[in-house]
Amino acid sequence: MTLSLWRWAHLVLALLASTFILIASLTGIILGIDAALSRLDAIQSDHLDQITLAEALPVFREAFPEITEISVENGERVLVKGLDAEWNELAAYVDPSTGEILGEPVQESSFIQWVTAFHRSLFLKSTGRLMIGAGALLLIMIAISGIFLVIQRQNGIIHFFSKIPKEGKHQYYHVELGRWTLVPILVLALSGTYLFLDGFNIFPATPMLEFPEEISEEESEFLDPEEFPAFQEIYLSDLQKVEFPFAPDPNEFFKLTSKNSQQLINQFSGAVIQNVDTPTIAQLKELNLVLHTGKTSWVWVLILTLASANILYFIYSGIVIWRKRTRTKIKNIITPDQAEIVLIVGTENGSTLGFASAIHRQLLANGTASYLCEGNAYQHFHKANQILVFTATHGQGEAPANASKLLALIHQTQQPKDTQFSVIGFGSKSYPDYCAFAVEVDRTMTELPWFQQAVSLHTVNDKNAVEFTDWVKAFNHQSGFTLATTPAVYAAKPTKLKTLKVVEKVFEESDQTFLLTLKVNGIAKFTSGDLLAIYPANDERERLYSIGKCKGKIQLVVKLHPGGFGSGFLNNLEVGDQVKARIIANQSFHLPKKAKSVAMIANGTGIAPFLGMIQQNGSSKHLYVGFRTETTMTQRYTRQISAFQPKSSNHLSHWAFSRQESYTHPYVMDLIQRDSEFFAQLLAEDGVVMICGSLAMQRNVEAKLDEICLAHHKKGLSHFKAKGQVLVDCY
Amino acid sequence: MKLSKLLLVGVILGLFTYSAFAQVSKYKCLVQMSNYVGEGAYITISLINPQGDYEKTLQVLGDDEKWYETLEKWNEFYLQQPSQIDGVTGASVSGGGRSIVTLDLDASKIDKGYKLRFESAVENNKYYFDDVEIPLSSQALAQQNDGKGYIRFVRFIKVK
Repeated sequence: MTLSLWRWAHLVLALLASTFILIASLTGIILGIDAALSRLDAIQSDHLDQITLAEALPVFREAFPEITEISVENGERVLVKGLDAEWNELAAYVDPSTGEILGEPVQESSFIQWVTAFHRSLFLKSTGRLMIGAGALLLIMIAISGIFLVIQRQNGIIHFFSKIPKEGKHQYYHVELGRWTLVPILVLALSGTYLFLDGFNIFPATPMLEFPEEISEEESEFLDPEEFPAFQEIYLSDLQKVEFPFAPDPNEFFKLTSKNSQQLINQFSGAVIQNVDTPTIAQLKELNLVLHTGKTSWVWVLILTLASANILYFIYSGIVIWRKRTRTKIKNIITPDQAEIVLIVGTENGSTLGFASAIHRQLLANGTASYLCEGNAYQHFHKANQILVFTATHGQGEAPANASKLLALIHQTQQPKDTQFSVIGFGSKSYPDYCAFAVEVDRTMTELPWFQQAVSLHTVNDKNAVEFTDWVKAFNHQSGFTLATTPAVYAAKPTKLKTLKVVEKVFEESDQTFLLTLKVNGIAKFTSGDLLAIYPANDERERLYSIGKCKGKIQLVVKLHPGGFGSGFLNNLEVGDQVKARIIANQSFHLPKKAKSVAMIANGTGIAPFLGMIQQNGSSKHLYVGFRTETTMTQRYTRQISAFQPKSSNHLSHWAFSRQESYTHPYVMDLIQRDSEFFAQLLAEDGVVMICGSLAMQRNVEAKLDEICLAHHKKGLSHFKAKGQVLVDCY
Repeated sequence: MKLSKLLLVGVILGLFTYSAFAQVSKYKCLVQMSNYVGEGAYITISLINPQGDYEKTLQVLGDDEKWYETLEKWNEFYLQQPSQIDGVTGASVSGGGRSIVTLDLDASKIDKGYKLRFESAVENNKYYFDDVEIPLSSQALAQQNDGKGYIRFVRFIKVK
């Protein structure tokens, strides 16, 4: 069977049952802890397997003037019920050798009773028991499909416990914890199902003793109960219960219940009048109860409690894995080891994946063993004869998020001899270092001895489907495949588009900058630093703008370039107009939650995200911004910022105006130089520097900071960059 | 108004002293269940006054209040006067099983037209509001009394 079938079964069953299993495991943890604690001071009598009922009877009689019932709990302690000298009902644990009263049965606290009832039936009586029971049944199937899933992943049952590749934190622990707790979970689910079925009388019940017809008093030998053979034969550890006759008349009997039978015994002669054996399946009830509740061993209780806690984690991590899988939409029907053609995808936000998936789908439809995975999942592909790398480039020639380790992995991992490869780079010519990462990958692969280049490096600008089909044609020619060469097949339609309404627009003539405030129709989750992708020509070409979240709205600061594709489009919008756009989460440029203080450095339109971040709570913020001249727009920024700045001095803003002669510090770099002590201290104290604006400014600022770091700390800025203390969003 | 209040207080005080000094007889009571199939039965033993109204709950077999509502008639009385219960034993009683409890009976009420009522109910099953109903008489307390529902019979032994 394929991997995906087991995965699909595992997921669907888990989703169906998760609510009930969630409740059952939460309450199960509470009951488990309670059971473990009560094991600590549980009453236990020794040698119950060496004392017969006949031997113990006189001892119990000593303690109780009248006995109505003797029962043995968990085969470890004896509970005697009867009447005391004042004829009051009495129940107590009695030591069968000494007659010492060891304690009275403790009623469970009402809280534990409440939890138990909730665990069994959700307070919904039979309906609730049915639901929890269905949950237990599904848990069995989830555990079984999980076992098969592990076997599939590990390529056979022999490797069940061998090392698993570390794909992601939750993925790893889901499998790792899963295979260790599968047994206790399966036991919990099976015994839970048994108890649920038993509650609905599914199993043949133990036949009940028939009440004998009226017996006339007949003369026979009289024996003391201590002399009854039935009582002399049974050890306390095998006894469950013996009920005493109510009155001294021949229609009243001793009723003895042991693990495997029930007996009716004449109270005068000790003769066994009736004997009924307990069916095997009913005998299992006690075993299932012990397995499910762990009432006899605190070690087992602990294992069960841990398994319950793990179930909670499985639900959580399972959902995380599932969400991740559906988000990246990578659908494989074979394992890496079966792959003949491998498609490696490096993408920042998923657009490159669209192209790779289109190829992947066609290959699969063709019956080719094609396998698609992200850059960081690169590994040895046993049967591969083609490896195709589809990758975007992030920032200045860096790897996109899901391919951050790709170069290192390509270097380290040997592939079968003469594996053919081809690299397709995706990017936009409007940024420098166009497809630089793809170039790097291509060069690396070319140098490795086990690779042979099949098709030379192709690049695709702005998701241009026509350019992509150039590669497809070259690949078809080389490999003999007949993949579609119509551009429309690959033209990505932007998805998850939101409708936004323009609520404010302010234009500053002097530096051709405008500020646009947009309101999202419906619900959207975003924060300052995220990106807004717009589609000016309604095709695959997109342009990105940094979002400042101000009072729940999106605020953009845009410089109008003559003939600008994106800026011209936005400038044509008027208040009240609607525009379709996509919000892209940009985790790497969010205001750090933990940093004590943050320095925000921007020039020109780079101020946009900071205008939003300044409104967020948390760290003390220091703004360093540079413009050409002071304008009504910069005055507006000042007002917007000061409105959110508390009087205290831990929020400060510093302004530089390069074309205004009165300023002694015309550029942000000058301000940084002036405050070099501050920056040195900020970085030393784990503060964060955020830079937004032009690439030229970024270079200058980083050079200046590097200088300061070397002077103060004898370490370059790269040291702090590596620690994630420098966040950049420049263009 | 004031007079009636005083009278009421007097009556309550009188009842209190009366019951406090009443002669109490203890009876051992056996409830033997028939061999029915199903969950454990919830059983109440009530003292019924000569007018036919509930006077007191002598015993409840089964301690999960969630099921009390299945003993419909008794539950009405219980909701009105939840404090009028002499005793609750932990366990409900299953088919073929038995339970032995002690009942405190007011000797002055025996042979005076009072009744003892055993009600029984089983989850998802029938409710018997008079599974066993017997006169509180010396004769009935000395014999075996058969039940109509889940109870096979009840028996008493005077112990004090």
